[in-house]
Amino acid sequence: MKANLNPVTIAIIAINNDNVIYQFNEGAEKLLGYSASELLGKKKSNFFILDEEYEKFKKDIASKYKIKTSDFNPYKILAQNDDYDAREWTIVKKDGTRFIAHSTLIPLKSDKGENVGFMRILKNITDLKKIENDLLRKNQVLNAAEKITMMGNWQWHTVINKVEWSSNLFNIFGVDPKENLNFETYFSFVHPEDKEKVSISFEKSIKDKKFYDLLHRIKLKSGKTKTIQLLGEVVLDEDTGEVIELIGTCQDVTEQRMAEIKFRGLLESAPDAMVIVNDFGIIQLINKQAEKLFGYSSQELINKPVELLIPNRYKDKHSTHRDLFFSAPIAKKMGEGRELYGVNKAGKEIPIQISLSPLKTEEGLLVSAAIRDITVQKKAENKILEANERLEVLANKLTAQNTQLADFAQITSHNLRAPVSNLNSLMGFYKMAETEEEKILAFEKFEIVIHHLTDTLNTLIEALKTKNRTSIPVEKLDFNEILNKTVQILSGQIISTNTKINSNFENVTNINYNRAYLESIFLNLLSNAIKYKSEDKDPEIYVFSVLEDGAVKLKFKDNGLGIDLERHGHKLFGLNKVFHRHPDANGVGLFMTKVQIESLGGTITVESEVNVGSTFSVNFKE
Amino acid sequence: MKKNFNFCIVDDDDIYQFTIKKTIQSLNYAKSVLAFSDGEEALQFMMDNISNEEDLPDIILLDINMPIMDGFQFMDEFIKIKPKLSKKITIYMASSSVDETDIKKAHQISEISDYIIKPIKQGKIKSIIEVYLNDKEETE
Repeated sequence: MKANLNPVTIAIIAINNDNVIYQFNEGAEKLLGYSASELLGKKKSNFFILDEEYEKFKKDIASKYKIKTSDFNPYKILAQNDDYDAREWTIVKKDGTRFIAHSTLIPLKSDKGENVGFMRILKNITDLKKIENDLLRKNQVLNAAEKITMMGNWQWHTVINKVEWSSNLFNIFGVDPKENLNFETYFSFVHPEDKEKVSISFEKSIKDKKFYDLLHRIKLKSGKTKTIQLLGEVVLDEDTGEVIELIGTCQDVTEQRMAEIKFRGLLESAPDAMVIVNDFGIIQLINKQAEKLFGYSSQELINKPVELLIPNRYKDKHSTHRDLFFSAPIAKKMGEGRELYGVNKAGKEIPIQISLSPLKTEEGLLVSAAIRDITVQKKAENKILEANERLEVLANKLTAQNTQLADFAQITSHNLRAPVSNLNSLMGFYKMAETEEEKILAFEKFEIVIHHLTDTLNTLIEALKTKNRTSIPVEKLDFNEILNKTVQILSGQIISTNTKINSNFENVTNINYNRAYLESIFLNLLSNAIKYKSEDKDPEIYVFSVLEDGAVKLKFKDNGLGIDLERHGHKLFGLNKVFHRHPDANGVGLFMTKVQIESLGGTITVESEVNVGSTFSVNFKE
Repeated sequence: MKKNFNFCIVDDDDIYQFTIKKTIQSLNYAKSVLAFSDGEEALQFMMDNISNEEDLPDIILLDINMPIMDGFQFMDEFIKIKPKLSKKITIYMASSSVDETDIKKAHQISEISDYIIKPIKQGKIKSIIEVYLNDKEETE
């Protein structure tokens, strides 16, 4: 009947004192594989149990009732003591297979109280045993895992204030596993400096019905300090919705924490600003130097895109560069050969130098950027550049001055030494002169040389003055006005030579220039054009202004004799250089014109063809 | 001393021409003293008298800085006509230029016997003529 009520098969076997089986129920048939008919009334003992287990059972009984001999019947002892025995037995079935059974051995008594035999009740617990073993094994794995990860798990029944820890948690806290735990046990280990933080966090977790993860230090009885991380969940009462339990894990993160502290220390001790970014360009970590450099606090930057620190004009390119870096992560200098800038919180751009290096972490590949403010270097560099520029200007000036000095040497060599040597020669001639006539002749010659020398010296002084003038006054001058004035001055020559002067200043009508110089340029170039006119043509002069390569040019084109530039080009603008056997040629005009033009930063050039004409071009400074 | 050579000055400086002329005349050596104001005039004269040995100069004092054709340009042209000339002409370059480049350039031209820096003293003219006459005697 029982078997029908319970799906679990129960075997009931009864044996009398003579070891004769007198009851063998259906369940027994099923579990042991024997039929009742083949066993009932048969004298059989212990046929389905193992000898060693029987011996163990016998020993247990002996020890329980302090029996010194081995010659006794354990069943009888049980009966004498009105006791029973419950334990697991390995049962051997008829076919020889075995299973684990829970067996209860009960002595049977007659109405008179006499022992009449035993009843064994068997229940197959193989499955249960298997589950139990599984559980045991899993618990072992969990324990091992917790040991390896330095982790434990805990439950806190808040209502009864009972705390349960996994075995490794006892290890972590250095507590005897037998100790009874409550919240206060745990709290007593919390580091004094962290106690406030911890109690606030737990209160908040219970109040909000949500566990707030917690990282804090504990102080063990041994005095050792550890850092633990608590992760957890709250369990609510299904009916009231109140918190009845908190469960979670606890990990000893002392080493990670130490590693992190070391890393942080390393990061903070770096001389450069460090910004650590993930592959999406999100800032993960920055050091104090970076806070200082960019003017943000770390909270303001962490989890923000790194583009926040990059000037707008570089932003688009930067994400491409970043992708490129993550596709081939090697330590390198960023933007080698280019000038890089960061932008601080105030929006000011800072010249920087960046070294990138990949950082493999559990959260994936990160990139650490070491950023160096190179404002100072930049300033120094600019200073050097400026100094260099100044030196270049100076060098150019010196070169120009050297050229002028060479010119001057040439002038003194020819234009001054020649008349002086003539004076010497004349002196010799005068001394040797025998007649009054010869002496008068010598004096006439003296006068010519002295006059010439005076002119040359005056020209030189004027040229030197012009060259050395530091500020030459300039004003807005109208080309037409200056031309008209020049034409008036030269009107006598123009009429007598039948000269035609045409002009066109439409392209550039005026210029900021020194009045005296511009007048001198017009006068010299126009009078030259008339002076060196063709012998068989009336002079025609065309004066015009143009804008070439951003510079104003004034051109004087004539149809005169022209100059053999191959022969004379190199000395065209020299002092006292003449190229025509013209009685008025004195080689001063073009020399002074050139000096004046150059003193205002311009140049003068000439194109010419013999018997066709010349074009002088005055190129004003750009 | 035989007056059998022509002295020639090519220089645009009138005073210089005058003083050299006077010097040579006072030395009473030369048959004649020719004077030209620039290289082109001198060259023209030589071209016109290319086979007229009698009138061609024997010694030339050549200035560098002159209008139209300077001393070096004259030398370029002179070297071209030299093979056609019937007699040897001694040329001295005489200039008030102390410019190294001029002096070097003059020394590189083998037709130029020497470079003389002005002013030229009487003694220098005398030695030039004596050297010329000695050479002539040796070749004759």
